[in-house]
Amino acid sequence: MRLLLVEDNQELASWLARTLRQAQYTVDVVHDGEEAEHALAVGEHALVILDLSLPKRSGLDVLRELRARGNAVPVIVLTANASLDGRVRGLDQGADDYLAKPFEIEELEARIRAHLRRASNRAETVIACGDLVFDTNTRMFTLAGETLGLTPREHAVLEQLVLKAGRAVSKGALSGAIYDFDTDADPSAIEIYVHRLRKKLEGSRVEIVTLRGLGYLIRHEA
Amino acid sequence: MKRSPFLSASRPGSVRLIPVRSLRLQLLAWVVLPLAGLLAVNLWTSRNSAIATADLVTDRMLLGSAKAIAEQVSMTDGVLDATVPPAAIELFDTGDRDSVYYRVETAEGRLLTGYPDLPIPPPKSSRSIEAAYRGQLLRLRAYRHPIIGAGEDSPVRVTVGITLAGHDAMVRRLWLNAFLQQLMLVVIAGVFVLLGLRRGLAPLLKLRDAVRSRKKTDLSPFSVPEVQSEILPLVDALNAYMGRVQAQMAAQRRFVANAAHQLRTPLALLSTQASYALREKGSEAREEALLALQTSTRRLARLAEQLLTLSRAEPGSRRPRADRIDLMAEARQVLEDHAPIAVKHRIDLGLDGSGTVIVGGDATMLREMIVNLVDNALRYTPEGGSVTVRVAEEGGMALLSVSDNGPGIPAAEREHVFERFYRIAGSEEHGSGLGLAIVREVADNTRGRVTLSDTPGGGLTVEVSLPLARS
Repeated sequence: MRLLLVEDNQELASWLARTLRQAQYTVDVVHDGEEAEHALAVGEHALVILDLSLPKRSGLDVLRELRARGNAVPVIVLTANASLDGRVRGLDQGADDYLAKPFEIEELEARIRAHLRRASNRAETVIACGDLVFDTNTRMFTLAGETLGLTPREHAVLEQLVLKAGRAVSKGALSGAIYDFDTDADPSAIEIYVHRLRKKLEGSRVEIVTLRGLGYLIRHEA
Repeated sequence: MKRSPFLSASRPGSVRLIPVRSLRLQLLAWVVLPLAGLLAVNLWTSRNSAIATADLVTDRMLLGSAKAIAEQVSMTDGVLDATVPPAAIELFDTGDRDSVYYRVETAEGRLLTGYPDLPIPPPKSSRSIEAAYRGQLLRLRAYRHPIIGAGEDSPVRVTVGITLAGHDAMVRRLWLNAFLQQLMLVVIAGVFVLLGLRRGLAPLLKLRDAVRSRKKTDLSPFSVPEVQSEILPLVDALNAYMGRVQAQMAAQRRFVANAAHQLRTPLALLSTQASYALREKGSEAREEALLALQTSTRRLARLAEQLLTLSRAEPGSRRPRADRIDLMAEARQVLEDHAPIAVKHRIDLGLDGSGTVIVGGDATMLREMIVNLVDNALRYTPEGGSVTVRVAEEGGMALLSVSDNGPGIPAAEREHVFERFYRIAGSEEHGSGLGLAIVREVADNTRGRVTLSDTPGGGLTVEVSLPLARS
């Protein structure tokens, strides 16, 4: 899952990003309103965490334009202004959620999970694909009851496939979900991650199928 | 500004007169006391005039009586015969039981009738005299009357005297009337003063009640209808004062809200770093997070300190002080404290100046001002740069300047950087936006001035000029 974090305080941004990466998210960090607009124009993020007090363009402006373009990506607004008025304005401009600083990282993560779940139109917190089970709360995969050890990249690829189980996921969509802006995206590397995942899934009833020209699909034997 | 404990301990009024603070009493005293004085003078003059009137009346009666007696003196068979007619005595019967004495004698002094030892007014006197007779004071009047054919016995002299009971009763009656009338006048004047005051003071009392019953938080202007033009300036001044208090409170509220706001992001950072450290299993990453947490905590502590300094710089929050402090020594102390940071960042930190430069003011606040100046300069100076503090006396002022060769402050931003929490957009340093606000407010409180200029060759120079302490 790739998140966009927009926060002008560089230190807070960097530590938030580190903490979210710890939880297996791919995180892009930008520090001002203009950078946020550029990042959002690419449109590969599953969720945006947006601070409202930003240099160059205010968070509210960024949010308003995002919604005006018809982009429905979930947005959690972070702000130091905890007044009711500020909260109402944020939500009215199209924010999905509102978190006042200081907040507990656990709460931010729980809200990220909730909004991601809603965005993928799933109500359940556990997604099963045969004997492969993904718990969206702990963000852990288990195969036949045993925890599956994965690198962050493998995790990101498998997550994308499981969330869209039964449907084809293109290589481009996969690389958009796993690479942040600081990494040179290498679509051919996707094949390597898929290859490794197939090895780890060997012996189970789950398989990753290659659809030429379309991408990959995960399915399980009945 | 120091108050002597002895003065404040002594009870007011124990030595001097308690000043009358009541407007009513003051006005009443100003109206009634002069009136009473006038009354006293008036009573004295009216008593005199009553006495004069009684004298005149008595004298006329004495003269009339004497004339009546004298008319009855006649020559009968060559002998002078004096018969006192009863009417001459009855004239005095005014009901005051006065005694009447008379003495009729010839020109040579031969007594014709009456009391031989009755005192007589001096010869040639046409006025009355008062003299004691038989233990009583008498008013006496003589009258000379020529008798035709009496030869050498003419003229006869008739002396009539009367005790003063009737006279005094008349004085009393005349005087008492005047006294009662005037007393009435003073009482009526007093009553009208009180009534007038009651009416006149009503708006003022209404204002007092309005002020007294106000809630602490309500600072809206007072409106007192029908207030007199003399009191209107008081109401206006009160309202203007409340306006200033309101503005001050609004500024204070904004600052507190702003401060709370400014604390939220650093707190979020602390919380995030702590959570990260808790979850991190690798000891190196964990240590890194803990070190970062420590740095953030220090920075937050510094912010709290700055907020406290600002609240102390607030007018009225600290008693004004006039410590004598040596800017040179203070600057040296601050530089010594900051030397480790300068060394760590390889910044050349130097002090320029010699001798002592004494200024007067609040020592704590002035020290805090220097700390903020040096702290700011070190914060914005790149590695390998230099920061120079200069202390000097120039043009009768103490001068403290801190020059760095950091990025400087664009001219357009220079007025804003003194605002609390103002941070230059895009600035990446961890400033709180309070440092220069503190410098400005401390300088203002010490009647000093702060100017910003470019350091030759790039960077910022902050110059603070303060009045020298009087030696």
